[in-house]
Amino acid sequence: MTAPTREVLLLDDDRWDRVLLATKGEAAACYQCGTCTATCPWGLVAGPSIGVRSVMRRAQLGIDGWAEAVWRCTTCGACEEHCPHEVPISDVMLGLRSLAWEERSVPHGLSGVLWDMHWDGNPWGRPPSARSAWANGLDIPRFDATKHSVLLYVGCTASYDRRGQKIARAVVSVLRAAGISFGTLGDEEPCCGDPARSLGNEEYFKRIAQANSHKLAAERATDVVTVSPHCYDTFTHYPGIGEAFRVRHYSQLLRDLVAERKVSFAGLEPTKVTFHDPCYLARHHDETEAPRTIMAAIPGVSIEEMERSREETLCCGGGGGRMWMETLPEDRFATSRAREAAGTGASYLVTTCPHCISCLEDGASVAGARNLKVMDLAELAVLAGIGAAAPTEASR
Amino acid sequence: MIDPAYSPQEARGIWVFLEQDAGVLAPVSLELLAKARALATESGAELTGLLVGGDLAALEATAAKLDLDRVVSVAHPLLTQFTAEAYAHAVDQVIRTQKPDIFLLGATAYGRDLAGRLAVMLRTGLTADCTDLALEAGTGLLLGEVSGFGGGVLATIRCEQHRPQMATVRPGVFPEPAAADRAAAKVERVNVDVPAAKCLVKVVARHRKTGVDISRAERLVVAGAGARGEMPNIEALAQALGAEIGATRVAVDEGWAERERQIGQTGVIARPKLALVWGASGASQFTCGIDQAEMVVAVNQDPEAAIFESADICIVDEVAPVVKALVAELQSHGGAE
Amino acid sequence: MTRELHTLVCLKVVPKSEEVGVDRETNTLDRANARSEINPPDMNALETALALKDRFGGRVSLMSMGPPFVIPTLRVGLAMGADHAYLLSDRAFGGADTLATSLTLARAIEKLGDVDLVLCGEESSDGATAQVPPGIATWMDIPQATYAMDVDFEPGQRHLVVTREVRDGEEVLDVPLPAVVSVKVSCNEPRFMDTGRFALLDNEELVTTWTADDLGVDREHLGLAGSPTSVAGLKEAAQASGRRRELVSGTPEEEGKILYERIIEFLRGAGTRGQEAPG
Repeated sequence: MTAPTREVLLLDDDRWDRVLLATKGEAAACYQCGTCTATCPWGLVAGPSIGVRSVMRRAQLGIDGWAEAVWRCTTCGACEEHCPHEVPISDVMLGLRSLAWEERSVPHGLSGVLWDMHWDGNPWGRPPSARSAWANGLDIPRFDATKHSVLLYVGCTASYDRRGQKIARAVVSVLRAAGISFGTLGDEEPCCGDPARSLGNEEYFKRIAQANSHKLAAERATDVVTVSPHCYDTFTHYPGIGEAFRVRHYSQLLRDLVAERKVSFAGLEPTKVTFHDPCYLARHHDETEAPRTIMAAIPGVSIEEMERSREETLCCGGGGGRMWMETLPEDRFATSRAREAAGTGASYLVTTCPHCISCLEDGASVAGARNLKVMDLAELAVLAGIGAAAPTEASR
Repeated sequence: MIDPAYSPQEARGIWVFLEQDAGVLAPVSLELLAKARALATESGAELTGLLVGGDLAALEATAAKLDLDRVVSVAHPLLTQFTAEAYAHAVDQVIRTQKPDIFLLGATAYGRDLAGRLAVMLRTGLTADCTDLALEAGTGLLLGEVSGFGGGVLATIRCEQHRPQMATVRPGVFPEPAAADRAAAKVERVNVDVPAAKCLVKVVARHRKTGVDISRAERLVVAGAGARGEMPNIEALAQALGAEIGATRVAVDEGWAERERQIGQTGVIARPKLALVWGASGASQFTCGIDQAEMVVAVNQDPEAAIFESADICIVDEVAPVVKALVAELQSHGGAE
Repeated sequence: MTRELHTLVCLKVVPKSEEVGVDRETNTLDRANARSEINPPDMNALETALALKDRFGGRVSLMSMGPPFVIPTLRVGLAMGADHAYLLSDRAFGGADTLATSLTLARAIEKLGDVDLVLCGEESSDGATAQVPPGIATWMDIPQATYAMDVDFEPGQRHLVVTREVRDGEEVLDVPLPAVVSVKVSCNEPRFMDTGRFALLDNEELVTTWTADDLGVDREHLGLAGSPTSVAGLKEAAQASGRRRELVSGTPEEEGKILYERIIEFLRGAGTRGQEAPG
């Protein structure tokens, strides 16, 4: 290990090359203005803020401790929104994680997540034979391209996590109400590879993506709909995306159904809701209107926006593989987020991501926001009595 | 077939290894004694206890009062501290001369080390980590019950032609015997040769456990969010069971237990035999930390709680009254050692 | 100059515990639907070996006994950084108990000739005997250190300093090489493999298969023939297929009482046997 002495300031060419390679040269555009550091949500909590420019500098110089900040990054992209040189900072962080693996500067437990993916096909270390247990009693057909238009990709968290399972079941109710013909891959559904990618093992991710692309092709699945924004984002990094198949988050499909008046809602008693934009929709994919279009179509629902909304959303803390790392209570963004949500006077804090739900429910509990119910948009849709659209006046 | 050290026809009696450390007998040796006595009574065999160590004078007196017919005492300065090679070398000499039919040891670190080496030296069979022992009807062969595949499969093992029939038994399987009311057992001292060449491994330090390491706990009492206000009872339960305390993330966040007691994805993956989980909802981030427990008991007042899917015994009730009732039961029976 | 350390790691490919049951008709183990994995503590042994290699150099070899279909699983060990794998595969090895298994492994290790350190996992998840490491050491007539939490090496003296777990604490042993060391499960964090290497490994070049003839051991001492113990019966324990999920209900006092009984029954080993608890 190199000590931070004056000597190391004489840059080691080999190390410089490794940093450039790991970050695909993207960091070269950084001119050290520090906007990233100022916008990082770590500045809101007790823990030290991530100075992206200093992380880069330290990694290049091989100074101890650079990896610690790289692992704290949630890849929320808040910094990227404001970076004057449009450096893809999240990708740079993931690249630096690959360097951290090489140097074995990795938080405890993350090797185990990758091993679980290898042996069990999911990052939770659960048996593949239990993957479709979430759907017990729902009688969901195995996807068959000759019968189904949509392949519902459930994802590991919605398959195995009890809270996530409820979201998956709500999404199924939504699709059924809209009369969409769909199937799942059942116990054969593979992990999309998000944990490998977000934990910085690009090589492993590429192999998973390759294998899954072949599988999707063999299934002749052309229209993939996901429960989680993380799976959705991950599929967009697959070879063949946009050609062999397209991928949508379920909220995007539902938005289209609402716009085309194929579904309607019975409605709720007058209810204030606020919406938490998941980073992987709002910032990484510029998708902020779909959930609002859907909620606006629910009679009785009024939307109380939080100050930090849409592309200015505040990360829940669960992205970038942080779901598999511990965050001390005083460092959880979700606590401050739950307070912000409670401050709008909303009774429901709605979002569209299983990781956000998990973090926000924890945040609401830590913040003592007892009157705030955290729910997925699909659950709100079911609660509001989603159904096939009533015949219009004209057609009567 | 490998030639046995001696034939079944020559073999006589049941032996129990009286494991000791610094003059104190291991509890498992006493547990074994009660079972061995039952087997000896059934077969009419003599029951012998084997003591090995440096200076055994005090232990000989203790052992003579146990429910044994005979005590064989093997003392040598090089046997003061347990090392596998030296112990195996010494015991091998005694076994070859005295030819026991059955030789039982506790499945502790020392017992398993000694048994593993000795079985190869004697070219005999060893049934390891038994959860029960019996004699086969008709043949009188020792039957050892063992579990495999994480406790999922039980097998009964026997050793027909080779002697002694060796078995190690898990601590805690058999209850300790009541004090025996019998004449003092005869103590027989046996000399052995322990060459320096068999003492290559040196014990350079010993220390007792310090700090918390719940990953190795055999028994865990786990507090979840629903255990609010119940930590004194949870602690009393852990004490009565001889268990360590574990906690879910929420319970750790609340400050009810230290961070090193957190179980789950971002905490410890525990492998206890028994886990009692109080008021945990059962998020997968938590349950992956107890999936490898042999038995899980869950108490939660929410009948829909996911934790019940990961439990062998499920109680839908409030934490407080049930934990109190269980503590009272344990205390009235003197614990669960 | 001291010779580089040659460490050999014994790896067992085992079926995943949760997927093994007992076939009720034939009363034999049903592994038909089971997926394989490397025995978890053996992964810790391999990590120990690779960490020593990182610090002191040398070579790491893998050895496993089993049918040829375990080769893809052994590749995982090579992709983690081991240099070569030896598969002991022969029908004659089948049905071996710990005596015959440890003899087979010991003779194969001796055939390599230059192994300094044999590392094993503390026990296997299928057999759970923990007797193979002492067995190998005894057949080879070399020292052993079991249940190691930490293994350190003193290169100049060719000794190991092993911290091991014993009943009420820890013991630090000075162990001269050659020796057999078994490590505790989760004593370290096995590094994730290099998936690129995993895909590109050449089995022909990196995996050597030896049969009984290669070891020159009397066939009567191998496998079922060389095993003094035999299985007299087999049954599935209650919790074999997932959790039991038995619902206990009543007043809190009744629940506490039943819970007490269930716990005592289980702790005395009766919970998995369905017999009456003693005492």
